[in-house]
Amino acid sequence: MDQIIFLVSEGFKNVWRHKATSLTAIFTLYVTLIIVGLFMVGGENIHKTIQYVRSKYKVEVFYEQDVSDFQAKAIAEKIKKIRGVRSATVIGKQDAVNIFQDQFGENIFSVLGYNPLPASTVVNFDRNSPKRLKFNAIIQEIESMDGVDVVRHQGILVNKLERYYQKVLKNFPLVSGLIVLITVLVIYNTVKLSVYSRKSLIYSMQLIGATKSFIKMPFVFEGLLMGTISTLLVYPSMLGFIKAGNFIIKSIAHLNMSLSVDPFIWLWLAGLAGIISVLGSYRAISSILK
Amino acid sequence: MIEFQNVTYNHQKDVGVNNLSFTIPENDFAFLIGPTGSGKTTLMRLIYFDLLPQSGFVKTGNFSSHKLKKRKIPFARREIGMVFQNYQLLEDRNVYNNIALPLHVLGYPTKEITERVEECIDLVKLEGKEKLKPSQLSGGEQQRASLARAIVKDPSVLLADEPTGNLDPVSAFELVKLLQEIHETGTTILMASHNYSLIKGRGYRILELQNGHLRGNG
Repeated sequence: MDQIIFLVSEGFKNVWRHKATSLTAIFTLYVTLIIVGLFMVGGENIHKTIQYVRSKYKVEVFYEQDVSDFQAKAIAEKIKKIRGVRSATVIGKQDAVNIFQDQFGENIFSVLGYNPLPASTVVNFDRNSPKRLKFNAIIQEIESMDGVDVVRHQGILVNKLERYYQKVLKNFPLVSGLIVLITVLVIYNTVKLSVYSRKSLIYSMQLIGATKSFIKMPFVFEGLLMGTISTLLVYPSMLGFIKAGNFIIKSIAHLNMSLSVDPFIWLWLAGLAGIISVLGSYRAISSILK
Repeated sequence: MIEFQNVTYNHQKDVGVNNLSFTIPENDFAFLIGPTGSGKTTLMRLIYFDLLPQSGFVKTGNFSSHKLKKRKIPFARREIGMVFQNYQLLEDRNVYNNIALPLHVLGYPTKEITERVEECIDLVKLEGKEKLKPSQLSGGEQQRASLARAIVKDPSVLLADEPTGNLDPVSAFELVKLLQEIHETGTTILMASHNYSLIKGRGYRILELQNGHLRGNG
């Protein structure tokens, strides 16, 4: 028991004894964890962002003059069945008169003696699909329907956004894998350098009869402590970054959305820091003790 | 006991040792002399199994090089205390913790560690310097701390490789005197030195190495 207490306390004391190398390792861990963490938050919020953007897509379908409200409802039902369409809300001829009056303060029916405004339908799209929204195909299908006069939309912008979304979705696993790999290598090499700087300590331990596992243990505990310190520093920093991001989104970009963080990300970061620093220490010390 | 039987070890570039055979019985005190590069350090390293012979075998205490598995080397070293010319003290901890380290390795309970370390500190006359770092000590004090670390685990064999090499004559004389006191408690000691004037006339056996060969053994 005394020996275990000694090994744990040695590991913890080593962080203090070798402040410079420990600080370097902790800082490297901190920076790389921040990058990975922000990347994960970004990844988590990509879908949320596209949902928000898709909720702003609006297509207005204007019917021909002779299409009655009843016929407009029937066409709207057909539109609803198109894949990718979430809702189709009919604005009847009389509704159009009311809207006109709200906006211009005049009753067009009293001015002209008849109602020239056609019935129309506002179409909204499915927000949750991870696939690219086939916007052009949907518009073409609506335009080809009998009774449809004009379809107003922001096709070019929507297509651009959808294309970017698909690109991000396609490359995200590759980029995130690459970032994690770089993180692992950076942390591993930092820990390795810190272990190498204490080669004489390791040699002295060997001379007095310490077994390999006895020599390794303090380094492993030291790695664990450095991983824990980095994680504890990363959490408030990440929360600060997210808060700043939300401030920019709401107050500067005036968008009605906010970044969210899955609690799983905190666990993932803690696990990553712990595993990499412990494994890094263990592998580095093992390579010296060969 | 230390036993060499037809031991040869050659370094790639430097002279090692050639066909050495000798025995240092239990509780003996022997000096190993020879000029720089004569193979003294190689011989010492063979005794504590930092090198393994290319032919022949070395026996230190109950461990023999031809039967020794690599993972057993730490256990063999636990029976050997070592003192080096450059002290090999750990700069990142104080005198007390340097001396206590071998006992932690051996798994001694904290209470016993305190007692043994204090005893050794008294023996090497470092009272009041326990909390100092090695860099805050003189060369002689560092070597005495190194000696305390070597004997704290009560080894059956004590090896001292040029322990007086960096010391002034007074400190060197005091160190040899300390080694004599330790020997009187029943420890086998082998001390390497190229300072013949320091060891002559003490009545102990002297092994003389030249170019890896044993020239004198008496």
